[in-house]
Amino acid sequence: MAKVRNENTVLLSEEKIERDLLSNINWSNKFKIWFGFLTALLVVCLWFYVLQLRKGLGVTGMNDIVSWGIYISNFVFFIAAALIGMLISSVLGMIGYTWIKPISRIAEIIAVAFAMVAGIVIITDMGRPDRLHHVLLYGRIQSPIIWDISVVMTYLMLSLLLLYIPLIPDISLCKEKLTGLPKFQKKLYKVLSLGWAGNEAQYKTIKRYFKILLILIIPVALAIHTVTSWLFAMTLRTGWDSPIFGPYFVSGAFVAGCAAVLIAMYFIQKNYKLQAYITDMHFDRMAKLLVLVSLVYVYFNINEILVPAYKFKPSEVKHIGNLLYGHDSLLFWLVQGGGLIVPFMLLMIPKMRKPLPAMLISVVILVAAWFKRYVIVVPTQLEPYLPIQNVPESFHSYMPTLPEIAITVGTLVMVLMIISVLTKLFPVVPVWEMKEELLEEQHQ
Amino acid sequence: MTETKGNRDRDSRRKFLRNFGAAGTSLLIAGCSTKESNAKSGEKIKVLNQNQQLVEVDVSDISPATMQADKKYLKKKGRTGIPGRKFVMVVDLAKCKNARQCMKACQGAHQLKPEQHHINVLEMEDEKSNSTYFMPKPCQHCDNPSCVTVCPVDATFKRSDGIVLIDNERCIGCRFCIAACPYSARTFNWTEPRDAEKYKDVPYDMELNVPQKKGTVTKCAFSADRVREGKLPYCVSACPNGVYYFGDENQDLVTNGTTRETVRLSHLLEDNAAYTLMPELGTKPRVYYLPPRKS
Amino acid sequence: MKNFVLLLLFVLPLFVAAQDNWQVPTAEQEKLSPYVFDNDMVKDGEVLYENFCISCHGTVTKNNPIVFVPSPGDPASEKFQSQPDGSIFYKISNGRGGMPSFAPTLEEEEIWSLIGYFRNFNREYVQPEFDYGDEVLSELAMVLSYDPNVDKLVVKVTSNGEPKSGIQVGAAVKGLFGKFILGNVGTNEKGLAWFDVDRNMPGDEEGNLTVQVRAQEGYSIKKAEEKMQLVNPTERTNLIAGRHLWSKAIKAPIWLIVVFNLVISCIWGIIIYIIIGLFRLKKVS
Repeated sequence: MAKVRNENTVLLSEEKIERDLLSNINWSNKFKIWFGFLTALLVVCLWFYVLQLRKGLGVTGMNDIVSWGIYISNFVFFIAAALIGMLISSVLGMIGYTWIKPISRIAEIIAVAFAMVAGIVIITDMGRPDRLHHVLLYGRIQSPIIWDISVVMTYLMLSLLLLYIPLIPDISLCKEKLTGLPKFQKKLYKVLSLGWAGNEAQYKTIKRYFKILLILIIPVALAIHTVTSWLFAMTLRTGWDSPIFGPYFVSGAFVAGCAAVLIAMYFIQKNYKLQAYITDMHFDRMAKLLVLVSLVYVYFNINEILVPAYKFKPSEVKHIGNLLYGHDSLLFWLVQGGGLIVPFMLLMIPKMRKPLPAMLISVVILVAAWFKRYVIVVPTQLEPYLPIQNVPESFHSYMPTLPEIAITVGTLVMVLMIISVLTKLFPVVPVWEMKEELLEEQHQ
Repeated sequence: MTETKGNRDRDSRRKFLRNFGAAGTSLLIAGCSTKESNAKSGEKIKVLNQNQQLVEVDVSDISPATMQADKKYLKKKGRTGIPGRKFVMVVDLAKCKNARQCMKACQGAHQLKPEQHHINVLEMEDEKSNSTYFMPKPCQHCDNPSCVTVCPVDATFKRSDGIVLIDNERCIGCRFCIAACPYSARTFNWTEPRDAEKYKDVPYDMELNVPQKKGTVTKCAFSADRVREGKLPYCVSACPNGVYYFGDENQDLVTNGTTRETVRLSHLLEDNAAYTLMPELGTKPRVYYLPPRKS
Repeated sequence: MKNFVLLLLFVLPLFVAAQDNWQVPTAEQEKLSPYVFDNDMVKDGEVLYENFCISCHGTVTKNNPIVFVPSPGDPASEKFQSQPDGSIFYKISNGRGGMPSFAPTLEEEEIWSLIGYFRNFNREYVQPEFDYGDEVLSELAMVLSYDPNVDKLVVKVTSNGEPKSGIQVGAAVKGLFGKFILGNVGTNEKGLAWFDVDRNMPGDEEGNLTVQVRAQEGYSIKKAEEKMQLVNPTERTNLIAGRHLWSKAIKAPIWLIVVFNLVISCIWGIIIYIIIGLFRLKKVS
């Protein structure tokens, strides 16, 4: 008595689930070409990083006025994108939404990939990466940077565990069922399956651990983004000196994260032929979720801009003016209007929540989310309290240079590489949970 | 035996710092006696002498132990405030005529590039009278320094004498302090510093923040190296217009860099309606300004 | 003042051509300083140099005078130091070409202190003995005391036990970078000079100030420096005492250390508990 899953009326059975979900685990030529392309791109970007190491951060467009450029805004973006794992698997999972099960692993993979590379992004911004160990040797816990490093490490660890623990039964399955694998892969599965036997007690244990982690990750995930916002909010700069920066950043992170998951869902569904598991219903619901978080974000944006714009304190005048009608206004309105308001309004139309349009709108939102971080980080620095004088003309503005853009692209490439490898090593949809669901349905 | 050796080491260190190459006379230091019999190696090494001049000496003239000891000593010295002092600067804006001798002297002493300013003379607009005035702006050496608060590695720190310094051998180049400073007092070595090759082997003097290092932050040090010797800071003594007063708040005395007139700090501030920059931020600067126009 | 000197530079015609040979009359060359080049004098000279000379002659020892023909020269240079004191005195006093005459601007004693400052850079230099001739230099002696009834510093000047009247006495409080002048008064018939001292001036914890006093009669100068209890004791607060957000790492606020470590250890405790549990998964049945 298999149940009708979607319009395509595919009948599911345990064997079919296993076959379908394990089918992505192979090193196809298509994957090799894709990965080769990413590697080549990364090598080029690495060359630029070597250039930066040799010549110093002077190869970037940063200067004494804008001393934090796209590296930092990229870092904030990465942290934002990494937050989604928590929303999907933890918040929704705990509320009891079972429809998120097939996409929770995708969300976790995205979270892990972005959190991992976020650490690398911050190293590319350091003037002295050779002194990274100073953070351990001389760390000052009064500095938000130390809080940020601690919380990113903690979040990464929790995300890895959240990804790994529900994977154990599936890894064990891979070990048993898959044949013709390279030696290293077999060994990897053997080690990672931790001697999984699939008995009742083991399931109980991992489910308990998973639950603990689901609870634990909520405060940590909120902390990771709040602390990142404090890197700005704890300073005395106009435009950053804002008490709502924490929730403002968190809500923005949900937007970026949902968009990232929607995009990943689309490509995974299409490439791995998982239409039976990641269905239109999932796209529809994720898109609705995206509308919801976008609305929250719009609300925070209004607070963040309207309150100072209404008061027009002398110190804020220039900064707000710049954003609303000054030299950053074009980018500002493109990001706010074209990248947030118009897309979420479009997503309110049911037809726009079909996979392809939802993915395309998500791409727009994600790109806008990246530039939104830029709008938060850079314009504030161009409006210091004291006038900018006796410096070269170039200090009055900021324009990223080729090496800087290349290094930033390189970090995005790394994220794609991690996502690609993880989705090729493990089933992207939890096999045992799908089987469990099927069994439950059959019982009914 | 060990004691005498220890004494000699200490002596040599002191001499190295005080007399090294002073007035271009003998560069030899007492500590190198062990190497006296050795012939000159011919290999030259560069060191800074008392007057911040770069001089070249033979490697055989400095034993590695002395070199090591000096580095350690310079490090310790830089992190220790001058006992009993609280340095304070008063800038009389009414006297500033934008001669920029302060900027020149500062950039020379700290080996800065033309676009790097530890002290920057800004042209400010006076909204009330619709005119402009010149405002020299060094680091404010705040008593509640927001830059120090955010430093993740103790690279920038406040000393007991009020001076905020940077240890550029500790700095990781995160530039959080630049973002946190409301006075834009800090600059960064984005590329190799000026004369990097020339000063490559010179031991680092934290109080002068020289030699500068690529990828680290640099800022005004209130000329900690000069005031330790009882001399006025580079900018203060270079001013031709009597703009700067510098002194010790504990003594309530400040000395004008041009006229060398010494006056009571409290009277000077009170009589001229002195103010600090952006007091509403709560940073508590140690640099006071006297208004550009007397009312 | 420096501006005035600069102005002179441009106004004075350069009637001395490239010849770099400044002849000083022999009698002038032999002129000697009646004042001893002590540390005070050197320090005075340094201040004067920075105010009057540095704009042309550059920082001493750095050999960076302005480009000018003939070159002003660095006072620490060998050529400069090889001249007798009298020659330098003559040149500063009279000037030539671009070099202004300082006789109208500076006191003789000030010019000598400049020379004292220059000689400070020459380790081989020994100051020649000045022949005071018939002039009898009185041996001045000073006794400093504090009169609490009138809040005044009292200086008593004597010579051979006899009080000296009409002697100019200057008193100053020694600051880190300069002297805070208390006054310049002549002694009365009892050899006494009084100076006002503001009791609100901060001294050290015991209320001590370092006072510098100078009495002069002709070439005879007597200086004294004494640490005296003249003012109310002041408490010195340590700027970096206590725990603040801006303190160094080991002086972080207690609440921050507690909260930070508590949160981190709780979360990582759970993480480690789970990781250990995972490694024991095999045995669970």
